[in-house]
Amino acid sequence: MTVQAGALALFGLAALWFGMAVFRTHSMVRSAFSLLTTMAALGGMFLAMQAEFLGVLQLMMMATEMAIMAIFMMMYMMDPGGLGQMEMTHQKRLSLLAGIVGGLAGLALAVASAWGPVASRVPNPARQTHDLGIELLGRSMLIFETAGVSILVAMIAATTVVISRRHE
Amino acid sequence: MTTLILALLVGAGLFGIGLYGALSQTNLVMIMMGVELMLGGALLNLVAFWRFLHPDAYAGQMFVLIVMTVMAVEMAVGFGVGTARFRARGSVEMEEATELKE
Repeated sequence: MTVQAGALALFGLAALWFGMAVFRTHSMVRSAFSLLTTMAALGGMFLAMQAEFLGVLQLMMMATEMAIMAIFMMMYMMDPGGLGQMEMTHQKRLSLLAGIVGGLAGLALAVASAWGPVASRVPNPARQTHDLGIELLGRSMLIFETAGVSILVAMIAATTVVISRRHE
Repeated sequence: MTTLILALLVGAGLFGIGLYGALSQTNLVMIMMGVELMLGGALLNLVAFWRFLHPDAYAGQMFVLIVMTVMAVEMAVGFGVGTARFRARGSVEMEEATELKE
Protein backbone atom coordinates (compact mmCIF):
# COMPACT_ATOMS: atom_id res chain seq x y z
CA MET A 1 0.00 0.00 0.00
CA THR A 2 1.42 3.38 -1.00
CA VAL A 3 1.67 6.33 1.35
CA GLN A 4 -1.09 8.04 -0.66
CA ALA A 5 -3.49 5.10 -0.28
CA GLY A 6 -2.64 4.90 3.44
CA ALA A 7 -3.37 8.61 3.93
CA LEU A 8 -6.60 8.33 1.93
CA ALA A 9 -7.72 5.33 4.01
CA LEU A 10 -6.89 7.09 7.28
CA PHE A 11 -8.64 10.38 6.42
CA GLY A 12 -11.49 8.46 4.75
CA LEU A 13 -12.15 6.41 7.89
CA ALA A 14 -12.07 9.60 9.98
CA ALA A 15 -14.52 11.28 7.56
CA LEU A 16 -16.95 8.33 7.71
CA TRP A 17 -16.66 7.90 11.49
CA PHE A 18 -17.30 11.55 12.27
CA GLY A 19 -19.98 11.69 9.55
CA MET A 20 -21.87 9.00 11.45
CA ALA A 21 -21.18 10.78 14.76
CA VAL A 22 -23.07 13.84 13.42
CA PHE A 23 -26.37 11.94 13.71
CA ARG A 24 -25.53 9.72 16.68
CA THR A 25 -25.30 12.36 19.36
CA HIS A 26 -28.06 14.38 21.05
CA SER A 27 -25.72 17.36 21.44
CA MET A 28 -26.06 19.85 18.59
CA VAL A 29 -22.66 21.33 19.36
CA ARG A 30 -21.04 17.90 19.09
CA SER A 31 -22.89 17.36 15.80
CA ALA A 32 -21.54 20.62 14.39
CA PHE A 33 -17.98 19.84 15.46
CA SER A 34 -18.25 16.25 14.16
CA LEU A 35 -19.28 17.68 10.79
CA LEU A 36 -16.35 20.10 11.00
CA THR A 37 -14.01 17.13 11.59
CA THR A 38 -15.54 15.26 8.63
CA MET A 39 -14.97 18.27 6.37
CA ALA A 40 -11.42 18.69 7.70
CA ALA A 41 -10.77 14.99 6.96
CA LEU A 42 -12.05 15.60 3.41
CA GLY A 43 -9.57 18.49 3.18
CA GLY A 44 -6.88 16.02 4.29
CA MET A 45 -7.97 13.63 1.52
CA PHE A 46 -7.73 16.46 -1.05
CA LEU A 47 -4.19 17.17 0.15
CA ALA A 48 -3.38 13.44 -0.03
CA MET A 49 -4.61 13.52 -3.64
CA GLN A 50 -2.17 16.39 -4.31
CA ALA A 51 -4.93 18.95 -4.93
CA GLU A 52 -3.24 21.44 -2.61
CA PHE A 53 -5.23 24.56 -3.49
CA LEU A 54 -8.57 22.76 -3.11
CA GLY A 55 -7.43 21.08 0.12
CA VAL A 56 -6.46 24.35 1.78
CA LEU A 57 -9.62 26.02 0.44
CA GLN A 58 -11.75 23.20 1.86
CA LEU A 59 -10.08 23.47 5.28
CA MET A 60 -10.46 27.25 5.44
CA MET A 61 -14.03 27.38 4.11
CA MET A 62 -15.38 24.53 6.17
CA ALA A 63 -13.75 25.66 9.43
CA THR A 64 -15.58 28.98 9.08
CA GLU A 65 -18.81 27.46 7.80
CA MET A 66 -19.10 24.85 10.55
CA ALA A 67 -18.19 27.33 13.29
CA ILE A 68 -21.09 29.53 12.05
CA MET A 69 -23.32 26.44 11.99
CA ALA A 70 -22.43 25.66 15.63
CA ILE A 71 -23.37 29.24 16.63
CA PHE A 72 -26.76 28.95 14.84
CA MET A 73 -27.34 25.59 16.52
CA MET A 74 -26.88 27.16 19.93
CA MET A 75 -29.13 30.09 18.98
CA TYR A 76 -32.03 27.98 17.71
CA MET A 77 -32.04 24.97 20.00
CA MET A 78 -33.77 24.73 23.33
CA ASP A 79 -31.29 22.04 24.35
CA PRO A 80 -28.04 22.59 22.42
CA GLY A 81 -25.99 20.46 24.82
CA GLY A 82 -28.33 17.47 24.42
CA LEU A 83 -28.78 17.00 28.17
CA GLY A 84 -32.55 16.62 27.81
CA GLN A 85 -32.13 13.72 25.32
CA MET A 86 -34.74 15.27 22.99
CA GLU A 87 -35.86 13.03 20.12
CA MET A 88 -35.35 14.91 16.87
CA THR A 89 -35.80 12.18 14.28
CA HIS A 90 -38.70 10.80 12.27
CA GLN A 91 -39.26 8.06 9.67
CA LYS A 92 -36.04 6.45 10.88
CA ARG A 93 -36.47 3.06 9.20
CA LEU A 94 -37.28 4.57 5.80
CA SER A 95 -34.36 7.02 6.09
CA LEU A 96 -31.97 4.23 7.06
CA LEU A 97 -33.16 2.18 4.09
CA ALA A 98 -32.74 5.14 1.72
CA GLY A 99 -29.27 5.88 3.13
CA ILE A 100 -28.14 2.26 2.78
CA VAL A 101 -29.57 1.93 -0.75
CA GLY A 102 -28.02 5.27 -1.82
CA GLY A 103 -24.64 4.35 -0.32
CA LEU A 104 -24.67 0.84 -1.82
CA ALA A 105 -25.62 2.20 -5.26
CA GLY A 106 -22.60 4.52 -5.06
CA LEU A 107 -20.36 1.64 -3.93
CA ALA A 108 -21.61 -0.59 -6.75
CA LEU A 109 -20.98 2.14 -9.34
CA ALA A 110 -17.49 2.78 -7.94
CA VAL A 111 -16.51 -0.88 -8.00
CA ALA A 112 -18.28 -2.05 -11.17
CA SER A 113 -17.38 0.83 -13.53
CA ALA A 114 -14.41 0.58 -15.87
CA TRP A 115 -12.57 3.79 -15.02
CA GLY A 116 -9.78 3.43 -17.55
CA PRO A 117 -6.09 4.12 -16.98
CA VAL A 118 -5.16 5.95 -13.80
CA ALA A 119 -2.80 8.94 -14.02
CA SER A 120 0.32 8.39 -11.96
CA ARG A 121 1.50 12.02 -11.81
CA VAL A 122 -0.15 15.41 -11.44
CA PRO A 123 1.23 18.85 -12.28
CA ASN A 124 3.12 20.50 -9.40
CA PRO A 125 1.09 22.76 -7.04
CA ALA A 126 2.29 26.04 -8.56
CA ARG A 127 1.41 24.80 -12.05
CA GLN A 128 -2.01 23.62 -10.83
CA THR A 129 -2.86 27.01 -9.30
CA HIS A 130 -1.65 28.82 -12.41
CA ASP A 131 -3.63 26.58 -14.77
CA LEU A 132 -6.75 26.76 -12.59
CA GLY A 133 -6.51 30.56 -12.71
CA ILE A 134 -6.25 30.44 -16.50
CA GLU A 135 -9.27 28.08 -16.59
CA LEU A 136 -11.29 30.38 -14.29
CA LEU A 137 -10.57 33.50 -16.30
CA GLY A 138 -10.69 31.79 -19.69
CA ARG A 139 -12.95 28.98 -20.81
CA SER A 140 -14.94 28.76 -17.54
CA MET A 141 -15.23 32.50 -16.89
CA LEU A 142 -19.01 32.63 -17.44
CA ILE A 143 -19.56 29.74 -14.99
CA PHE A 144 -17.22 31.38 -12.46
CA GLU A 145 -19.03 34.71 -12.75
CA THR A 146 -22.39 32.93 -12.44
CA ALA A 147 -21.22 31.32 -9.20
CA GLY A 148 -20.21 34.74 -7.84
CA VAL A 149 -23.55 36.29 -8.78
CA SER A 150 -25.39 33.29 -7.28
CA ILE A 151 -23.67 33.86 -3.92
CA LEU A 152 -24.54 37.56 -4.06
CA VAL A 153 -28.20 36.77 -4.88
CA ALA A 154 -28.32 34.20 -2.05
CA MET A 155 -26.92 36.76 0.42
CA ILE A 156 -29.47 39.38 -0.66
CA ALA A 157 -32.31 36.81 -0.58
CA ALA A 158 -31.36 35.58 2.90
CA THR A 159 -31.10 39.12 4.27
CA THR A 160 -34.42 40.11 2.67
CA VAL A 161 -36.23 37.09 4.13
CA VAL A 162 -34.96 37.93 7.62
CA ILE A 163 -35.55 41.71 7.43
CA SER A 164 -39.08 41.47 5.98
CA ARG A 165 -40.11 39.13 8.81
CA ARG A 166 -38.80 41.57 11.43
CA HIS A 167 -40.91 44.44 10.04
CA GLU A 168 -44.16 42.46 10.24
CA MET B 1 -6.83 2.02 -9.42
CA THR B 2 -7.11 1.01 -5.73
CA THR B 3 -6.66 4.58 -4.55
CA LEU B 4 -9.38 5.86 -6.92
CA ILE B 5 -11.80 3.17 -5.73
CA LEU B 6 -10.89 3.94 -2.11
CA ALA B 7 -11.77 7.63 -2.55
CA LEU B 8 -15.00 6.75 -4.38
CA LEU B 9 -16.01 4.33 -1.61
CA VAL B 10 -15.59 7.03 1.03
CA GLY B 11 -17.61 9.41 -1.18
CA ALA B 12 -20.42 6.84 -1.52
CA GLY B 13 -20.37 6.25 2.25
CA LEU B 14 -20.63 9.97 2.99
CA PHE B 15 -23.49 10.30 0.49
CA GLY B 16 -25.39 7.44 2.20
CA ILE B 17 -24.86 8.90 5.69
CA GLY B 18 -25.92 12.36 4.47
CA LEU B 19 -29.04 10.97 2.79
CA TYR B 20 -30.00 9.19 6.01
CA GLY B 21 -29.48 12.41 7.99
CA ALA B 22 -31.37 14.65 5.57
CA LEU B 23 -34.39 12.32 5.60
CA SER B 24 -34.45 11.34 9.27
CA GLN B 25 -33.84 14.64 11.09
CA THR B 26 -36.63 17.02 12.05
CA ASN B 27 -34.46 20.05 12.84
CA LEU B 28 -33.70 22.40 9.93
CA VAL B 29 -30.02 22.81 10.83
CA MET B 30 -29.56 19.03 11.15
CA ILE B 31 -31.21 18.53 7.73
CA MET B 32 -28.74 21.05 6.32
CA MET B 33 -25.92 19.07 7.90
CA GLY B 34 -27.15 15.97 6.02
CA VAL B 35 -27.16 17.91 2.73
CA GLU B 36 -23.64 19.20 3.48
CA LEU B 37 -22.43 15.62 3.98
CA MET B 38 -23.93 14.55 0.63
CA LEU B 39 -22.26 17.50 -1.09
CA GLY B 40 -19.01 16.58 0.70
CA GLY B 41 -19.23 13.11 -0.85
CA ALA B 42 -19.75 14.71 -4.27
CA LEU B 43 -16.72 16.98 -3.72
CA LEU B 44 -14.55 14.01 -2.85
CA ASN B 45 -15.60 12.14 -6.01
CA LEU B 46 -14.87 15.18 -8.18
CA VAL B 47 -11.39 15.64 -6.73
CA ALA B 48 -10.70 11.89 -7.13
CA PHE B 49 -11.84 11.98 -10.79
CA TRP B 50 -9.61 14.98 -11.44
CA ARG B 51 -6.58 13.46 -9.68
CA PHE B 52 -6.75 9.92 -11.00
CA LEU B 53 -8.42 10.26 -14.41
CA HIS B 54 -7.86 13.76 -15.84
CA PRO B 55 -5.18 15.70 -13.92
CA ASP B 56 -4.63 18.03 -16.89
CA ALA B 57 -8.30 19.02 -17.27
CA TYR B 58 -8.91 21.90 -14.86
CA ALA B 59 -12.65 21.88 -15.52
CA GLY B 60 -12.66 19.17 -12.80
CA GLN B 61 -11.26 21.59 -10.21
CA MET B 62 -13.65 24.26 -11.51
CA PHE B 63 -16.55 21.88 -10.83
CA VAL B 64 -15.29 21.48 -7.23
CA LEU B 65 -15.41 25.26 -6.80
CA ILE B 66 -18.99 25.28 -8.09
CA VAL B 67 -20.05 22.60 -5.58
CA MET B 68 -18.38 24.62 -2.79
CA THR B 69 -20.43 27.62 -3.98
CA VAL B 70 -23.59 25.52 -3.80
CA MET B 71 -22.68 24.59 -0.20
CA ALA B 72 -22.22 28.27 0.73
CA VAL B 73 -25.49 29.27 -0.98
CA GLU B 74 -27.36 26.47 0.79
CA MET B 75 -26.02 27.68 4.15
CA ALA B 76 -26.92 31.34 3.48
CA VAL B 77 -30.48 30.66 2.32
CA GLY B 78 -31.04 27.90 4.91
CA PHE B 79 -30.01 30.11 7.81
CA GLY B 80 -32.07 33.01 6.39
CA VAL B 81 -35.17 30.80 6.30
CA GLY B 82 -34.27 29.36 9.73
CA THR B 83 -33.94 32.80 11.29
CA ALA B 84 -37.26 33.97 9.79
CA ARG B 85 -38.95 30.78 10.99
CA PHE B 86 -37.45 31.06 14.48
CA ARG B 87 -38.67 34.66 14.81
CA ALA B 88 -42.17 33.74 13.63
CA ARG B 89 -42.68 30.44 15.48
CA GLY B 90 -39.85 30.17 18.00
CA SER B 91 -38.62 26.89 16.57
CA VAL B 92 -36.87 25.41 13.53
CA GLU B 93 -38.50 22.00 13.92
CA MET B 94 -39.72 20.98 10.46
CA GLU B 95 -42.39 18.65 11.90
CA GLU B 96 -44.21 21.84 12.93
CA ALA B 97 -43.78 23.46 9.50
CA THR B 98 -46.47 21.57 7.62
CA GLU B 99 -48.04 24.85 6.42
CA LEU B 100 -45.01 25.33 4.14
CA LYS B 101 -46.45 22.53 2.00
CA GLU B 102 -49.59 24.54 1.24
